Parts: sequence; C-alpha cells; structure tokens
Amino acid sequence: MSEEAVPPQSQLDVHDPSLTTFDLVAEGARRDGVEIAHYRLRFDPEQPKTRAEKRIERTIALCFLITGAAALAFVGIFGFWDWSYKSGAGADKWFTPLLGSAMGVALLGIGMGLVIWNKKLMPEEVAVQERHDGASSDEDRTLTAASLMNVVNDTGIRRRPLLKGAVAFGLAPVGLMAVAPLGAMIEDPKDDLLTTGFRKGVRLVRMDGSPLRPDDISAGGVETVFPGIPGGTTNKHADSPTLLLHLRETDAEKVIVRKDQEGFHHGNFYAYSKICTHAGCPASLYEQQTQRLLCPCHQSQFDVLRGCKPIFGPATRALPQLPITLDDEGFFIATSDYHEAIGPAFWERP
Amino acid sequence: MKLPKIKPAELPAKGAVWADDRLAAAGPLRRLMNKVFPDHWSFLLGEIALYSFVVLLLTGTFLTLFFDPSMTEVTYNGSYTPLHGIKVSQAYASSLNLSFDVRGGLIMRQIHHWAALLFMASILVHMFRVFFTGAFRRPRELNWLIGISLLILGMVEGFAGYSLPDDALSGTGLRIASAIMLSIPLIGSWVTFAIFGGEFPGDVILPRLYIAHVLIIPGLLVALISAHMALLVKQKHTQLPGRGHTEKNVVGHRMVPGFAAKAGGFFMIVFAVLALLGGWFQINPIWLFGPYEAGVVSAGSQPDFYIGWLDGSTRLWPAWEIHAFGYTVPAVFWPTVVLPGVVFTIAALWPFLEARFRKDHAHHNVLQRPRDVPWRTALGVMAITFLMVLIISGGNDVIAEKFDISLNAMTWAGRIGLILLPPLAYFITHRMCLGLQQHDRQILAHGVETGMIRRLPHGEFIEVHQPLPSGRSHMTDQLESRNGHGDHAGENADVHVDGHVDGHADGHGHVDVEEEYQQIPVPKKMNKLGVGGQSPPGFFRTIEDDGHAALPPATSEPRDPARSTTE
Amino acid sequence: MSISGKLRQRCRRFTVLVIALVALGGLYTALAPSSAAEDSAADAAKSSTAVAEGKQLFEQGCISCHGFGLQGIADRGPSLVGVGASSVEFQVSTGRMPLARQEAQAQRKPPKYSDAQVAALAAYVQSLGGGPQIPPGNLRGGKDDIVLGGELFRLNCASCHGLTAIGGALSSGKFAPSLKDATDRQIFAAMQTGPQSMPAFGDNQISQQQKKAIIAYVQSMKADKDPGGFGIGRTGPIPEGLVVFLVGIGALLVATLWIAGKS
Repeated sequence: MSEEAVPPQSQLDVHDPSLTTFDLVAEGARRDGVEIAHYRLRFDPEQPKTRAEKRIERTIALCFLITGAAALAFVGIFGFWDWSYKSGAGADKWFTPLLGSAMGVALLGIGMGLVIWNKKLMPEEVAVQERHDGASSDEDRTLTAASLMNVVNDTGIRRRPLLKGAVAFGLAPVGLMAVAPLGAMIEDPKDDLLTTGFRKGVRLVRMDGSPLRPDDISAGGVETVFPGIPGGTTNKHADSPTLLLHLRETDAEKVIVRKDQEGFHHGNFYAYSKICTHAGCPASLYEQQTQRLLCPCHQSQFDVLRGCKPIFGPATRALPQLPITLDDEGFFIATSDYHEAIGPAFWERP
Repeated sequence: MKLPKIKPAELPAKGAVWADDRLAAAGPLRRLMNKVFPDHWSFLLGEIALYSFVVLLLTGTFLTLFFDPSMTEVTYNGSYTPLHGIKVSQAYASSLNLSFDVRGGLIMRQIHHWAALLFMASILVHMFRVFFTGAFRRPRELNWLIGISLLILGMVEGFAGYSLPDDALSGTGLRIASAIMLSIPLIGSWVTFAIFGGEFPGDVILPRLYIAHVLIIPGLLVALISAHMALLVKQKHTQLPGRGHTEKNVVGHRMVPGFAAKAGGFFMIVFAVLALLGGWFQINPIWLFGPYEAGVVSAGSQPDFYIGWLDGSTRLWPAWEIHAFGYTVPAVFWPTVVLPGVVFTIAALWPFLEARFRKDHAHHNVLQRPRDVPWRTALGVMAITFLMVLIISGGNDVIAEKFDISLNAMTWAGRIGLILLPPLAYFITHRMCLGLQQHDRQILAHGVETGMIRRLPHGEFIEVHQPLPSGRSHMTDQLESRNGHGDHAGENADVHVDGHVDGHADGHGHVDVEEEYQQIPVPKKMNKLGVGGQSPPGFFRTIEDDGHAALPPATSEPRDPARSTTE
Repeated sequence: MSISGKLRQRCRRFTVLVIALVALGGLYTALAPSSAAEDSAADAAKSSTAVAEGKQLFEQGCISCHGFGLQGIADRGPSLVGVGASSVEFQVSTGRMPLARQEAQAQRKPPKYSDAQVAALAAYVQSLGGGPQIPPGNLRGGKDDIVLGGELFRLNCASCHGLTAIGGALSSGKFAPSLKDATDRQIFAAMQTGPQSMPAFGDNQISQQQKKAIIAYVQSMKADKDPGGFGIGRTGPIPEGLVVFLVGIGALLVATLWIAGKS
C-alpha cells in the first residue's frame, strides 16, 4: 500500500536477543508511524487461569461448537429433507426456514466467537497512527511535472505540425469507430407507438381467443379484450389490451362522449384502452357505482361517463376510446385502430 | 541422492521467506497490518454494505447457474402445480424452477434479494453518517463522489434484478421504466426503442438487463468499491472528536489482530442476519404474482424501497403536461427524470457547495458531532424528511387500504406534506441541536446530576452534582489545531446559556465556565463517570461516548493501571 | 321523451327481462342434473315457511332503510327488488348489512344473522322480484381447475383485490376487500351480483364452471402455506422494506454497538 514509511533513523537493533516479541511489534509499528499508546493483557499468561478466563474460553468454544453442529444440520437438511412442493402446509414448507436457521446460527456462532475472543481475551489496545496528509512535496511536484512535460518535448510534436494534424484527423475517427457499434441498437420507432393490433374489422377477443357478443357481458360488467389477430393476446401486443365496459342503462344515459367520438360506442358498450396514459400500467380498477377507472400504479382516476377523462392523480389525458361495432355474426369488432396514441406520452406524440 | 527431510512446522516460515525473496513484501505488508482503524460503532455501517455486496456476489453466482433470461415462450411444467401448463417466458419458468425445483434455490433467491435491500439500506445509513459528521469535507470529496456513484449504480443494479424474473410485478415496473424513458424530450422514443429493441416489451430487454445485472454493473461496482477502499487506506480514517483525537493522528486499533477479528466476526454476523432473513421472511413470491402479461396488474404495485421514493414522487406530481408546438413533455418526466437528476446533482456537489458557502477549504480529519453543526444537521434531516414523504407516498395505496384512509386524501396529504414537513423538520432539528449543545454546556459547568438531594442549613434543597474529572482539560491543547480553523466557533455564537447556568456566552461562543465547551462528548450519566471518578464499564456502557477514555493523553505519563482495569 | 313514455319503456324492458329469466330458468331445470332438480323441489317445499320467516326478519331489521316491500327509501337504502338471493346472502352473511353507519363503503364484520336467518331473508327477497341465486352444490372447482382459475383471477380480479387477494384501495375511501375470510358462497355471490364498487361478472362472461375454478384458485392460494418463511402479509415491497430496516439494520446496529463497545 502507498503508506509513507517513517525513515528508520533508529537505533533499535532488531536482532538483539533480549527484545520480547511485543518490543518488536511496537518497533515495527513505530517505524510505520503507529504508536501503541496503551497495551494491556487481559489475563496474565504467567498466572494460573482465573475462573473468569476459563468461563470466557468455554463461551467461545461453545460458539464454535454450535457453529459446527448447525453447519452439519444445514448439510443434513439440505440433503435429506423432503422439500418438493406440495400444496398446503406440509413439511416442504419448513425446508427454507430450517436451512436459513441452520445457516444463520452457524454463521452467527463464528461471528460471536470471534468478537468475544477479541473483546475478552485479546489484549486491550489503543494505537495512535500519525497522518501526513496534504499534497506531495514541492520537489516531487516539480520533478514529476518535468517528467510529464518532457514527454511532449521528446515527441517533438510542437514543431511537427504535420504530425499534429495527422494525429488529430487520423485518430479522432477511431473514437467514433469505438462508439459506432452501439448504433446496432438503434431502431426506428416509425409509427409503432401510434398503432395497436386493432384495425377495421378485427374482432375483440377474450384472453382465450374467443370473440364476444353483447350478451356476454352483463350490465355493470367489464371484460379485458384483445385484438383477434395471431399473437393478439400475448405480450407481443402489449399496447392493445382494451377494457370493454357494459354500462347500466341509468349510467349510459349520463354519458357525455368526447368530441369526435360520437359513434365509437355500440349501444351501452364502450371500449377504452386499458393502458394508462400516464405511465402505461393497466388502468383497470373499475368502480361500477361511481363509474371510475383507477390505475393502481400512480392512482390516476378516469371518469367513464365523460369519455374516461382524468379527474384525479397525475394522468393528463383521457384513455383513448376504441371505435367498435358488431359484425355480421353479432361479434364485437373494431371499426378502426385507436384514433390517438395509446399509453404514456412522448415527445413526438401528435 | 538424499532428499531433504520435510519438517511441517517450518513450512510456513519457509514459505514466507520464499515469497519475500521474490516480492519484498515484508515492509508494505507490515505497514498495512499496522493501519489504525477507529473503533466507533458508526464506522461499521459502511462495512454492512461491503459485506452485503460479498453475499450478493456469492448468492448471485449460485443463481446464474440456473437462471435463463430468455423471453421465449415456453409451457411451464415444473413442480408448482397452480401454474402448470400455462405459457410463460423462459425467464419466469427458470425463476420458478429456482424456487421449486432447485434444491436450496429458494433460500438463495431470498438471501440474494434481502442482501440487495440491505446493501441499499446500509449505503443510505452509511451516507447519512458521513453527511452528518462532515466526513465528506476536504480531502475526502472524491470518496463522496464515488459513494454517490455507488448509490446510483446500486439503484440501477437492484432495478435490473427486480425485473429479471419476468413476473407480473417486475413486468409492471419495466413498463413504467419504458414510460419514463419515453418521456425524455426529443430523444425519448429513440432511447426506448434502442434499449427495448423495439416497442415495449420486445424480446431482448431481459437478456440485456441480465448482462447488465451480472457483468457490466457488478464490474463497475467492484471497481468503484475497490477505489473507495483504496482511497480510505491512502487518506486514512476520519475520527470523531474526542480525547486525544487530533487532525494529525488516527486513534483506534491496528488492523491486525484487533480490527481484523472484529471485522471478520462482523462479516459473519451480517451474513447470519441475511441467512435468517432469507430463511424466515418470504420475499418477492413470484409464484403468487404469475407471469407478466400486458393486461394484468395488481392493486398495491410497488417497487423496492430504494426506487419507491421515485414512485412516490410520480404519484404526487400534479397532472402537468406541456404540449406546445406539436411536441409534448409528459408529466412523468419531471418527477422521474428531473427530480432524481436534481437530487443526485446536489448530493454529489454538496462537499463543494458547502466549502464554497462556508468558505471552509481546510483539511479535516476530525469529524463534527451533528449537534455542533446545527444548520447542516437540520438540512440533512430536511432532506430525509423529503425522501420519507416520497417513500410513504410510494406506498400510499397500501397505507390507505390498511388504515382505512381515503386514497385521494393520502395523495393530498403527500403533496402538502412534501412542502410543509421538510422546513418544519429543519426548524425542529435546529432547535434540538442547540438544546443538546446547551445540555453539554450545563454539564461542563455543573457536573453530572447524581440524583442525590441535600438540604442546606437554611432549608433549601439542592441536587448534588458530580464535577467532571479535571483530567478532561488535557483535551484542550490537543484540540487547538481543530479550533484553530476558526470555522466552528461561529456555530455556537447564537447559543445563549440561560439563567441557571453560571456562565455567559462570549463573542467566540465559548462559555466562561470551569470546563470549556469543545464539541466533544461529555459524560451524561453517573455510570459513565462513577461517584469516585472511576467508571464501571460493561456491555453497552462505554466509559464515554467516544469510546476512548482508556487513551492517555498522548503527552502525559501512562495512566494509573487501576483506572483501566476491566472486567 | 315523456315520463310516461320512459316508464312504459322500462316496463317493457322489465317484461322482457322476466320472460328471459323464466326461459333461462326453464332451460336450467331441463338441463340440470336430476339431483339438483330434486334439491330444488325439496327447497320449494321449505321455501314458503322460509319466505314468511324472512319477511318477519326483514320487517324487523331492514325495513327502516330498504322500505316496505323492498321498495327502498330515497337517501337511505336502495330498492332490493330483483337483486336476488345471492346478493342478500353476500351482504348479510359477510356482516356488511345491516350497515353500522353511512360511509364510503360497507365493511365486513361479524354477521348479525345466523345462516338459517340469512337463508330466510334471501328467500323473502327472492320471492319478490327474483334475481340471481347461488346454485346448489359444491362451488369450489377441483384440483384440475386451479390453473384456469389462476389465469382468470389474475386478469379479472387481481387489479382490485391484488395478485395475492389481500385487497386494495380504490378512489376516495372505497376499497376492494381482502378475500382472507371470504367463503366459497360469498366469492361466488360477489362475482355473480357485483356488490358495491365491484362489477358483476355474469355467467355468459365467466361461466359458473369458471367461477368455481376461480374459487378453487383463491381458496388453495389462501390455504397454501408460504414456502419461504413468514409471508409478511404477502403485501410485496412495502413490508419488505420495513423488515430490512427494522429487522436487518436494527439487528446490525445492535451488533455494531456491541462490537465497538468496550468490554
């Protein structure tokens, strides 16, 4: 390590046979700038062991023996306990707690044994180390600076302008070359953020892919629907989950549709994007009495009766509405994709 | 030819000689072994973070043997029957296998997750210790910057790990992360598409997060932790003010054997606590959450606590979206990008800001007690209060549900609290610091209350005070250098000692009493002093707060052995 | 549209509903297994006495809010015509009704009526205007249904009740309750009738078989002991954060004091 050694201007002959080990330790420390200011044996090794000393020894021994037992217990539990999952409250549910207990006790035994050993048996000590902080010496600075400056002189770059230019123009592109491969990550967003899996004529389907008729959802009910296209219910179309709400007659009478969205609903059925316009969580906590949709991530609340406009929380925009109608077989279909970008906002959002 | 006989007892010595012949390591090794560590408890907080990190590396390595971050869809067929046969990602399936089909996998996962939480928690606690005692001041600004980098990297690393199992919670978190990236003006959508390889979720984000989680970020963490500790060795430890502690020394234990035994023991204790947490407290039960599906969300969706404050700020931020000239700056941008940017910038620049505004450019190796720098302590508590309001707001739905409070009321309480509580915390903390200073001054003037009541001849009752041992005044000369900077005295100038203290505050903030106020701990209780000036020490009962009563003033003769007797 | 026109329209709609219900009921009796048919025949014999008993209970405990003949009283309680036995059983057996006080949402509490009384009340309400009924027999799907139940639960129920069915907050003091104490019949009735804030899930949307699967999932999840030690409420990161500070940091602070303290 980069500690500054105190120059050994001394004095002490380290080979002097009359010196004790501690004398050598103290001398070593002194040469490293450390004064052992206070050093006291807790128990005199020359005297017979006191009862207190024996008690401490036993305690430490017990710690280590407990560790041994617990470590063996860990191995035993790990190897032989019936741990395969069974529903209910069987023995397998104790596997992890028992392993944790055994491991914890084993490690705690070592830890406590070491600490007690240190605190109770090892000599009491207070050491004082000198510090020499601050900058390097003025001489060091001057000499090192000269060495560094001389690098420039040795290359002679100052009087070789051609090389100066060549280095600048020749090597700078190497930096670009180093960064360029990251360009492989760049993808053009195109209109991916503006479109979902829905288009004209695409059916609204349930999680299992089955299409829905109006009588599949009772009044006051809600169903999560997906575009009926290949992979439409998977995460490949994470922007497409939509809430299909069937309002009660009494609620439907109160609906104020948003401008330009007059024909989007079918009877009392309204389809709104499930993806919150704030941070993209599914805003799907539907309160059918108050006709609110709540997003559980940041508590934005949307008023279903007013085109899902935000009425509380950090969301700024209404949930986009999907225009729907019925096809010839009486199943719900979209009459087009959403007319606005679904989900969280971004810079270019029109 | 006759082979030399091998004597096992001589092998270590011979080995050492062999190595030293080649490395000449005896000197540097001894200097390292002789490094002195202060032994105040608060210096162990950073070690918790270090040891948690070691546990993270150990358990994390185990997990990589079984985890597969692929997002390919597979049919789950493992032991956990309630999810049998459903389509999940390979990442989720292998996380389930880790929990139910790998022997001991669940406890490894749980220890790993607890260690991650403990790593972040102990970084925070350690950082507050460094802040409140002024340990970040010159010459340690660089280490403070490294620490801030470790905190930020730890957050990113933790978030990546939280996202890997691809369960419903982690998918929700990733979706919010993508919304945050999208919100960056000008480049948001391009950044998001670059990172996710297309529109959210795509099929590359988990493999990419995985390589970040197990290689890139841990590599950076290891490098920065090494630099953090190399600087610590180079610059040596700070120390709290106390008997014999000066700007020119470090008082404590040598690394070997005293400190090493304690540190080794403490590592085992940290690991033990993590093993017990991992065994007894279930964490992140992904099998209950199910796989991530874009249409699925859960009430009470939260990130881990170290991200929680940003979730809270996002919940509290009003619906302010800027939409001008055909471009949008979403509401999410301010609380999730700008706020942490500002917080971390202020935190990183703090040592420089403080030096500039306090005009304190001196070297500092002796720390300050929080009460002696009331304005900084109060600012720190103000910042903690700010973060606490945000963290609580990050769980406001759970609190609303458990304690039957309106969710909307919780949101408003958070918004108002975020503005009102931090200044209030500043004011209260400032008063408390001054009060504590004054209490110390009273003891210096009067001594320690003994609880003994005596009746004076004219009938008045008084409590007997035990005066402080006069030896304490030895501290004066050793602290000269510290007070010589002149930047502390001003702190105390506004303290007024009230009527029943026989003294007055002079222009330098010193109380004109028997014992001078020196910004170091004073004994508060009889058991720290003893009736006869002799302490009965024991578990948790240190002779003095600073833990260095045994230290004879460096200039004086060895102490009376009777006074350092311990049992 | 005039008021009478509106009324006429409602009457027409009501007639259509009644016809549809009768048709459905007929279909059900025709298709239901014979044992169920026997059950319902036996029930019919009992029902007249139950209705009378229920009427008596209603007029003692419920009439002050829900009015004479279930008509409801403005600002006190809604009409109960057509809510069905299922709804009554859910509200009364969970102790939500009778209401303790007017607040954002009725709370679960110990029920005030015995099971027999609940059945009588339900029979009385059912006798005036019909409505959804809990089907007889076992309402919990078998082991093979748990997986399907889990998928349906996560998509339809978890958003409000949470993935671990511990409940969650809704807007302005309302909440989705924890399913900790919910019985099979109560969960079934809740899905069928959509009490309070909860949307109804009709049999066309989630079939009876699927409802039983959801019940099977919820009950097996509740009964399944946590394999990783204490579940700390299965509440996710919030208690986890508390534990790491209170238990983890707490224990280690004690350890630091002990290690650094003088011996």
